[in-house]
Amino acid sequence: MIPQLGEFALWVALPIAIWGGVLAFLGGKWGRGDLVLSAERSVHAVFLLLAVASAGIIAAFVGDRFEYWYVANYSSRNLETYFKVSGLWAGQRGSLLFWALNLGFFSSLAVWLNRRRNRELMPYVSGVLLVILSFFIIITLFITPPFETLAFTPRDGRGLNPQLQNYWMTIHPPTLYLGFTAFAVPFAFAVAALLAGRLDARWLQVTRKWVLTSWFFLTLGIVFGMRWAYEELGWGGYWFWDPVENASLLPWIVATAFLHSVMIQESRGMLKVWNMALVSLTFILTIFATFLTRSGLIESVHSFALSLDIAYAFLGFMAVTTIVCLVLILWRLPLLKSDRMFESFLSRESAFLLNNLVLLGAGFAVLWGTMFPLLTEGLTGSKVSVGPPFFNQVNIPIGLILLALMGIGPVIAWRRASARNLRKNFLLPTAVGAGVGALLFALGVRHTYALLTFAIGTFVLAVIVIEFWKGTRARARIEGEGHPTAFLHLVRRNRRRWGGYIVHVGVVIMFMGFAGAAYDTEVRQALSPGESVSIASPFGHQYTLTYDGLSTARGQNMWQWIALMRVERDGVFLGTLTTERRLYEAPPQPMTEVGIRSTFTEDLYVILASLDEQVGMGTEPEHQRATFQVMVNPLVPWIWYGGLIIAVGTLIALWPGGPIPGHRPGAGVERGKKGREPEPGPERPSDPAADSDRPAGTPAGVS
Amino acid sequence: MTRDKRFFAGLVGVAAVVTWLVWTGITDTMVYYLTPVELIERVEASPALADQGVKVSGDVVPGSYRTSSDELLHTFEVADPDDPQVRITVHFRHPIPDTFNDEAEVVMEGRYLGDGVFEATEVLTKCGSRYEALPEEMYDVDDGDYGGGSG
Repeated sequence: MIPQLGEFALWVALPIAIWGGVLAFLGGKWGRGDLVLSAERSVHAVFLLLAVASAGIIAAFVGDRFEYWYVANYSSRNLETYFKVSGLWAGQRGSLLFWALNLGFFSSLAVWLNRRRNRELMPYVSGVLLVILSFFIIITLFITPPFETLAFTPRDGRGLNPQLQNYWMTIHPPTLYLGFTAFAVPFAFAVAALLAGRLDARWLQVTRKWVLTSWFFLTLGIVFGMRWAYEELGWGGYWFWDPVENASLLPWIVATAFLHSVMIQESRGMLKVWNMALVSLTFILTIFATFLTRSGLIESVHSFALSLDIAYAFLGFMAVTTIVCLVLILWRLPLLKSDRMFESFLSRESAFLLNNLVLLGAGFAVLWGTMFPLLTEGLTGSKVSVGPPFFNQVNIPIGLILLALMGIGPVIAWRRASARNLRKNFLLPTAVGAGVGALLFALGVRHTYALLTFAIGTFVLAVIVIEFWKGTRARARIEGEGHPTAFLHLVRRNRRRWGGYIVHVGVVIMFMGFAGAAYDTEVRQALSPGESVSIASPFGHQYTLTYDGLSTARGQNMWQWIALMRVERDGVFLGTLTTERRLYEAPPQPMTEVGIRSTFTEDLYVILASLDEQVGMGTEPEHQRATFQVMVNPLVPWIWYGGLIIAVGTLIALWPGGPIPGHRPGAGVERGKKGREPEPGPERPSDPAADSDRPAGTPAGVS
Repeated sequence: MTRDKRFFAGLVGVAAVVTWLVWTGITDTMVYYLTPVELIERVEASPALADQGVKVSGDVVPGSYRTSSDELLHTFEVADPDDPQVRITVHFRHPIPDTFNDEAEVVMEGRYLGDGVFEATEVLTKCGSRYEALPEEMYDVDDGDYGGGSG
């Protein structure tokens, strides 16, 4: 019953979305509030209908309704229930509906949040969102119908790919999709601002929080995906520069560029065209990511079946979006003129612009590497391939430049940095970074990129710590507060700035985690029970693993062979670790479950690489011989810590209720000082987001 | 206007650096993607190719897969998709992907050692696609396995 209702809801959603979109644009153009209201109700209605449709799919999965093609191919009776629920996004057909559902949610949220604000933009915002929704509903209904039924009902389904039967997989795709779809809202505001000709600071203010929301989910989604790859793919790595991974990275990179360049527009009134272009490009890249994943055009570990219908539909949609954005920006070019020009290379504007250019450069390199094989084959007919070595060779230097800019950007002065500004802000951090670099070199670290990562990383951390310290100290002195209280108030007064710094700390920690890969070690050995294998960690520890034997267990839909290892570090018994191979029944496929023992600085990562052909023929030791690959992956845990810190920092910056930069009536008033104008004044750059052009030692919000 | 020019120069500078990185990256790391027939032909034509890494795709020969119980060593034969008589023997000393079986289509990266032996450093399976179900025809054929059902 519920599945049928779901399919019905999906069909009803399409005309409502299209009609609502038409009403929205007409209502905006003619200034007809009744039409606009009707359009906004359509947005809510479409969201509800998509929710019913998704509930229908979930009900079909949970109820083992194998008469549906999609359920029969992605589920089986013995599948755990929560994996059945995740069936909604496990395959192509459900995932496009799921995409539409997420988009519907954010569209509905955006319309509701702005029911009394930004009314001049909202007709077009609703219109753009409904157009995008219509596109996805059309794809779902006509190209990848999730409710398609088979001519007969199979007794059981084919089961879910075992690699997807992992808890990270139940949260990685939804998080990523939330990130992708949330970006449709800032895009809609950008297009609305262009259409309405309201290109003042307003659309940027609304957009910024949405971009940050999207960025938050994108970051989490990417990190969850890394975690999934690390645990489930069983080769000891977390990032493979796979086309689909790259595709999710591209919008993240451009959104990151926008989050920085938007500050220049806010405080200096520059880069208006650039920002508009970045928002459009990010949105197009979220569509591109979906296209790459869903069309199967490029070989990838994620690839779904090659589907040319989907490829053409998405290519067409991207082409139309690109043309519309270009035309709108060109049309409104006169309204997008910069308020002022760059004054000096040594200024925060330049640092931010350089950050943007380098980020886009990284994005271009990733895109080029991803598309290169396809382009070469299309142009010359010869098949070539570029893999992780290419991406590492290109992106590590770029990443290091970005890392350095992360330390420079926040404290270099606006407009034109004086020698005094440079000396005051950079002398100590540079010394710290150089000192750490020298120390590591003395300790025997010879890997250039690893050394640079740590030296530059500690430079950035020093800059941020000093900023926090200066702010806290000044506030404590002025307000007479204790240092912890002053610190908390400092962050609360300008969440966006200090949250941003915390994000930077997370990025530094994460980069250091990446650098650890330079010192990965591994051994491979065949062992019989009682035999052991040793491995030295780069931190000087000696791990000894003794194989205790193999046991067999039966899971809900699989068999498990579990190898028990006793782990000693430097002769001290640490505990036992299990690593296993599984054989799933539906679909019949083996699966490696690695054993990971994590400490603060390194992971011991044990793969049960292969079982002897005689395993299972008896219980004697010679029937339990197995081959292990043991790896020590230094600093990998820092990647996850870094991800956590980034998430916390982003939430601080996003948290509602704080003084909104550029629009905070109470910020200066409560201290009896003049409130800031939303628009930067001509004389002194008003920079509410990052205040370090003030005399050092003055807390944010006090001038 | 000179300021604008200077910043334009900066932009060109960044673009140049990125282009240079991409260009050297491609030339340093690009590998040819060949079939076993092409691999053998090319190595005969220019033996230097043997030292260079290449990517090879083909079909695993059913029944050819062996593992060693003394060390981590997988051996199997890979046949050319168009000319199944042309085969190379693959040695692989890392954990084999879970999706590997001896009917899989594989993409391997590694070096050709001569005498038909390919030392792979990486093996990926290409079973149509990993997260997609088999083609729809699977259920369109009314075979006994799925047919009877609860209907």
